[in-house]
Amino acid sequence: MSAVAAPSQARETRAFRFGALWLAVPGLLFLAVFFVWPVAQLLGLSLFDPDSGKPSIATYQRIAATDVYLRVLGITFRIAGYTALYSLLIGYPLAYWLSRLPDMYRGRMLLFVMVPFWTSYLVKTFAWMIVLGRSGIINSLAMGSGVVDQPLPLLHNEFGVMVGMVHAMVPLAVMTMLPVMAGIDRRLVQAAQTLGASPAHAFWLVYFKLSLPGVAAAGLLVFISSLGFFIVPAFLGGRRETMLAQLIITQVQELLNWPFAGALAAMMLAAALISCWVYDRVFGISTIAGGAAQVGTGRIRDLGLAILAVLARIAGTLSRLAQTLLGRRGSGLILPAFAWLVIGFLVLPTLLVIPLAFTSSQFLEFPPPGYGLTWFRTYFESPLWIQATIRSFLVAFATAIAATAIGGFTALALANSRTRWSGLIFAFFLAPMIVPRIVIAVGLFYLFARIGLVATDLGLIIGHTVLAIPFTLVTMAAVLKGYDQRLDQAAATLGANRLKTLTGVTIPLVKGGLVAAFLFAFITSFDELTIAIFISGGVKTTLPKQMWDDMILQLNPTLAAVSVVVFVVVTVMLLLAERFRSSSSSAS
Amino acid sequence: MTSSMMNKPNRRHLLQLAGGVAAGAMLAPALIGRASAATQIIVADPGGPFGPAFRKAFYDPFEKATGNKVVNVAREAEPTAQFKAMVETKSYTWDVCTLTLSARDILAGQGLLDPIGFTHADVPKLMPEAISPLFMGTDVYSTVFAYRTDRVKTAPASWADFFNVEKFPGRRALRKNPIDTLEQALLADGVPLDKLYPLDVDRAFKVLDKIKPHVAVWWTGGAQSTQLLQSGEVDMLPGWNARLQAAIDGGTPAKIVWNQGLYSIEGWALPKGGPKAEVSRQFVRFCSDPKAQALFTEILAYGPTNLDAYQTIPAERAKVLPTSPENLKQMTIADEAWWSANRAKVSERFNSWLLT
Repeated sequence: MSAVAAPSQARETRAFRFGALWLAVPGLLFLAVFFVWPVAQLLGLSLFDPDSGKPSIATYQRIAATDVYLRVLGITFRIAGYTALYSLLIGYPLAYWLSRLPDMYRGRMLLFVMVPFWTSYLVKTFAWMIVLGRSGIINSLAMGSGVVDQPLPLLHNEFGVMVGMVHAMVPLAVMTMLPVMAGIDRRLVQAAQTLGASPAHAFWLVYFKLSLPGVAAAGLLVFISSLGFFIVPAFLGGRRETMLAQLIITQVQELLNWPFAGALAAMMLAAALISCWVYDRVFGISTIAGGAAQVGTGRIRDLGLAILAVLARIAGTLSRLAQTLLGRRGSGLILPAFAWLVIGFLVLPTLLVIPLAFTSSQFLEFPPPGYGLTWFRTYFESPLWIQATIRSFLVAFATAIAATAIGGFTALALANSRTRWSGLIFAFFLAPMIVPRIVIAVGLFYLFARIGLVATDLGLIIGHTVLAIPFTLVTMAAVLKGYDQRLDQAAATLGANRLKTLTGVTIPLVKGGLVAAFLFAFITSFDELTIAIFISGGVKTTLPKQMWDDMILQLNPTLAAVSVVVFVVVTVMLLLAERFRSSSSSAS
Repeated sequence: MTSSMMNKPNRRHLLQLAGGVAAGAMLAPALIGRASAATQIIVADPGGPFGPAFRKAFYDPFEKATGNKVVNVAREAEPTAQFKAMVETKSYTWDVCTLTLSARDILAGQGLLDPIGFTHADVPKLMPEAISPLFMGTDVYSTVFAYRTDRVKTAPASWADFFNVEKFPGRRALRKNPIDTLEQALLADGVPLDKLYPLDVDRAFKVLDKIKPHVAVWWTGGAQSTQLLQSGEVDMLPGWNARLQAAIDGGTPAKIVWNQGLYSIEGWALPKGGPKAEVSRQFVRFCSDPKAQALFTEILAYGPTNLDAYQTIPAERAKVLPTSPENLKQMTIADEAWWSANRAKVSERFNSWLLT
């Protein structure tokens, strides 16, 4: 049977592969024009002397002359690494818990997880200052109850930065892992137990191993997104928490030294690419790319299995211990309790913003000295704020459609192709995440100024789509990896053409992934500030840009009021979408 | 390359046209009234409280007096990058923009500014530092320090007191930037106000070494300094006077120490080759008016550059403004020329120092 089938199947795969890779071409062209070209131009500046215009490596000599830039690079990587680690440790149990909930209930719980996304970075950061500060909420409670007699140092140090960054990144980690977990066939775990594995062994050696592609994807996404942070370390960090993006921004905006900024960007880019390469060696980038099967060869695989077995044994002992201490019912509550704790952590800053929005004070102080509607009035009476809100929604919607389409087709192309090009193409599509946004933003500003796209909505949509494509691609690739392509082949055998297979079989089956990708892209655009600062100049601003302008010099509770309005609107939108999704799926 | 060469004749043509329109605009009010002369200019101010303050003091009165329209947008804290890209690509998002002296020097050095078209002789009561061929200062801000009166028992009165952690205990913040911070260290070490520049960088770092372990917070933005003082996160900190004043005006028990302050100036400049330069110049000139300048001090605690403005400013308000005679004599102007020449190198050293 197999001897007969194999040759014809191989021929068909080759033909399909050729056809499939074409699906990546629109995305490749888009990124070539709106990402590679502007960034290359900016990096090119670092190789020329600004005065004479001659080739020069002076900027790189300057980096080498002191250790400060390398040290900041080291700090940046350390902070991003810890952020990824903690986000996975906190996010995995939450994602696992979510994946086991019934569909309806899970959709609602996901809204809670996404809450931090709908609260602007700027507002979240200030909320954490109110929670963690010397006379902040935690310290007031701890001192008031007599637990401590000195305020705890929670802010303006690495702890503060970690809280802010992990809080911002846990939703990303959960959203990346969840589709993979939801796609795991639970009967495999049951089968393992039927065959005599302990629950712990069945979990670690079967379930956990199957969820690893999602874990690896989440780790890389969080790590790389964390490299470019600049608001959180500036406000929650102390003397030592300086990240490279801050230095690049200073060079561009304050010192106007673009060649040196280009050199720093090049250094960051090189370091990020090297760490991706190392990541590939250790975890296999294929786990993210949805490419070649991840059945590792020989020793590494054995080592991995051995580690998992040890973990299983430890976990088994721990769970037995928990059961004897808490009883069967009590130990069953550990996971939900942990999940609810994490959800509490995620929604805390947003909950805090609500009373702040109704404050009568001119400051973001907690508890508010009195309540009123002053700041909502300021918001609703200002055409600038309202226009910015509407523009942000429209731009984010258009971005989400464009980025999901490009990311989805590219993921499809890569999933159906087995050439060595697919790894390269995948890395190329991830590149917009690795390059600091400020570099993309300045490069795009240059490009757009010449073709008249500055201060236009189209310019913003293009810029945001560049940033969102990696997220949509990774999400879709992770889903398609677990997707059984024989279903497509079956449809084809039954006479469906390629379009019909796509709309009738593939899309309905990966709907969860599509929704996740769409939401990722929407969020990326909706809370995007760096590109907006450059592209939406003049009177056409987006909401984060308007908030930023408003808070450069003076922080006032309008920001909190805006956050509450956005939060309400988005929650209603999401509930409607969820309702629509569940009713359409039950109808079909 | 080709496209820019092809554009050139067009551009020149446009400029001639613009010049013609502008010349017409100057004559027009006298001949045919305002309506036909109406031009809309986009001005970039620092945003936040500046918007309403400048609207009241400058934009509305200018619209009323000339019939032109002023649209104001907020600019970045350091808009040099946008400015450079704007001029080099000739896509003028703004016609006039406020700059700090350091931004002015960087942009002037790269030839990105147009002349404002009048001199000190035209407005003799303007502070001499506030006007140059490419720039007219509108407001003076001052870097001073404030302390919480409810927490700091012995009132500090100088930078030496601020740096003396034994005699004046309390949590401190400093700005995460060498600018102003080095000056403060030198003043604390006894360098007289008039002999600060050129800064003795080595000596400054030696003084900073001693206070480093006692600095709880390193702030980066003006809004943050208000928040730190208002929330009680720190007990004393240096900052820009109006940001500290905002906390005090909002009821925070704190006091500003003007002694040994460093002031600097913010003001209007024009991007080189802007299409509405004539009306923009008219606008800049309009903003030198003392009565107009007096109006913004009602909202903003910054000092007018035309000292005649104090004839109409109430005495109580004058006390919290940097250019009132009482405050001005205790301070000196920060030397932007020294910083322009040394900023890159000193910033590098400061960043390195922070990490160790």
